[in-house]
Amino acid sequence: MKHPFQIIKASSNGEFLVTSVKNTVYVSSLKDGRLIGTWCDELDSSYTILKQHESKLKKLEEAERENEEGDASKKTKTNDSKAVKVPKIPVPGPGAPQIYNYIRTLELSKEGDILVLTTDSDKSVVIFKIDLSAENCLIQMKRQPLPKRPCAVSLSLDKKYVTVADKFGDVYNISIDEQTASQEKDLRPILGHVSMLVDIAICEHGGKSFILSADRDEHIRVSNYPKSYVIKGWLYGHSSFISNLHISSFDSNLLISGGGDDYLCLWNWYDEKLLNKVQLRNLVEPYLTDFHLPPERFLSEDSVKEISISKILTYRHPTSDSNLLFVLCENVKAILVFKIEKDYTVNHVQTLALSTSLVDLTLIESDSVLIGSKDTDSQTEIIEFYSIKDSGNLEVLDNELSKSISSSNKIEVNSREEFYPLYYINTLRKRSEH
Amino acid sequence: MASVDKRDLNVPTAEASNESKKKQYREKRKDFRDGQKNVSFEENAIELPRKRFYRQRAHSNPFSDHDLAYPSRPDSMDWSQLYPQFYDQEKKAMTSHVEIADIGCGYGGLLISLAKEFSDKLILGMEIRVQVTQYVQDRIDVLRRQEEDNYQNIAVLRGNAMKFLPNFFHKGQLSKMFFCFPDPHFKQRKHKARIITSTLLSEYAYVLRVGGVIYTITDVEDLHNWMAQHLEEHPLFQRLDKEWEEQDKCVCIMTNSTEEGKKVSRNNGRKWIACFERLPNPDDCD
Repeated sequence: MKHPFQIIKASSNGEFLVTSVKNTVYVSSLKDGRLIGTWCDELDSSYTILKQHESKLKKLEEAERENEEGDASKKTKTNDSKAVKVPKIPVPGPGAPQIYNYIRTLELSKEGDILVLTTDSDKSVVIFKIDLSAENCLIQMKRQPLPKRPCAVSLSLDKKYVTVADKFGDVYNISIDEQTASQEKDLRPILGHVSMLVDIAICEHGGKSFILSADRDEHIRVSNYPKSYVIKGWLYGHSSFISNLHISSFDSNLLISGGGDDYLCLWNWYDEKLLNKVQLRNLVEPYLTDFHLPPERFLSEDSVKEISISKILTYRHPTSDSNLLFVLCENVKAILVFKIEKDYTVNHVQTLALSTSLVDLTLIESDSVLIGSKDTDSQTEIIEFYSIKDSGNLEVLDNELSKSISSSNKIEVNSREEFYPLYYINTLRKRSEH
Repeated sequence: MASVDKRDLNVPTAEASNESKKKQYREKRKDFRDGQKNVSFEENAIELPRKRFYRQRAHSNPFSDHDLAYPSRPDSMDWSQLYPQFYDQEKKAMTSHVEIADIGCGYGGLLISLAKEFSDKLILGMEIRVQVTQYVQDRIDVLRRQEEDNYQNIAVLRGNAMKFLPNFFHKGQLSKMFFCFPDPHFKQRKHKARIITSTLLSEYAYVLRVGGVIYTITDVEDLHNWMAQHLEEHPLFQRLDKEWEEQDKCVCIMTNSTEEGKKVSRNNGRKWIACFERLPNPDDCD
């Protein structure tokens, strides 16, 4: 069976679909389903360990050399230096957690000419130019390793910088035009939280840019950009971790955020005003399973099933002019559809029940179509198309492309047990005891 | 809640190092703390808490998910619990707001010295260690009992200022922030755990008003250089010169009144001071 696509992202002009499985990226044409680009992260997960080992050896060597030069007179010392233990390459013991090596984030520029992704192996941001006329449309421009694992990326509005947030709470600006990667020690964060960052977004108001950063605590920070040391304010409204920041496609002041809470927040991020909270619990409840219970050691009689939001998308339907909101919750076999009214009230339109959970969801703006990546055993069809009707309702679309795009995924596994973690957002939940 | 007798608090001292004794003592103090609101006492019936029952290792991991209580936003913070005398019962509002914060207040020496110096301003100590916070709270409770009119303007909170400062304070609410003898975190890979970092300074700049002052003092020269360097590099802060330091009464109090400061003096250690003023935001920023 095929490993499900972990991330899918359609270009807004509907020309191609970028997908990722483990450490591989595929670009498929949405015109004929042909594979037009591919890239694989050649470094393996032992890269960091080997690098650390190398630097240890180097330090030892230097120390030895100094010893030889400095203490030539003291013979006893030189004898000792031979006894210096050469550090071993650490090998994970039995029961050690499995090391995964996959692409954590994919980001496409609006025009579909730049692709940014982050890798696990060397904790890098990799920037590609997309040239559809080339044989392999992914042309690697730059690979910038970071000190900590990156977990969210955003492109600056002028497309000169990639902004990347890491697990340590720091955000870096990486120049796209500057071809050579900076030394890790020369990187300076442009802002930082004392918490794991989960998403960032760069947005605009009145000709000025701002950066929104959300963390594993409940904070959404609004900072000026690029002068991000001037914090404009905070958006207070969540009581659990945040996993998604989404600037709506039809109103650049409208931010929709969600994560571990039972609700989504609608904000005017510039005025720092909470416009509405969209309750999801009642809608999602019928689809929750034992998977959504807390891990065993935190389980108690009154534990409730937990909702984690994995995707937020918005779309203005061109014919009906209605503003639609699509929400995907982690490992829930349904897509929720809402309509956002002019006064920011939100009405539920549809809960499209599905046969499988979706790992990811993406929108082809030009075609009024959604694509979902299915968590399925199917060998032939691992993505599904949904057409967005005038009313906002979704309908499963029979599309020949789904077979050809699925077939470009060459990563085969024997059973579901070999899947990489598809649902990990809920692990961000805080379960502190002291 | 039953009344607490003074004698009950005098736990035998000989084996006081015993952890359970310490705990017992603290629990008695807690009973006293909780009972205080309902039970009346004779004046000065209670003595100051003893530090040795509250000792806790000097380090705390600021990145860990402590089970902390903090308001969801500054407006939802109930300050009347901490400063009851500054609460207007009729208007249902505080008559004053916290303006001075001592981040990592330790055993509260600075708070207590500042209390009389700035009797009209609310001063808050923040401390991440539970027992140390309890100590300061017990100390303030007793001081308030001893001198009815004083020490009403100081209070302490257990919290992680590195994570949740903006949950407590509005933009530009503070006029002074103190960082006295912070944990030096010597190891390079622990530098992000330091209380002064370039990224955290942006948060401090957010809660400080223009013209407000950050005070730092330490007995570790490396840490002093680090703090001064990061503050100097931050576009929203400007160093205040020696002359300013000499005339400022807070610098004097900070140097001489904190527990850590006294300890350094006893050991004839050196203290390094650096103070910085909050500059206005650039014109093109919101």
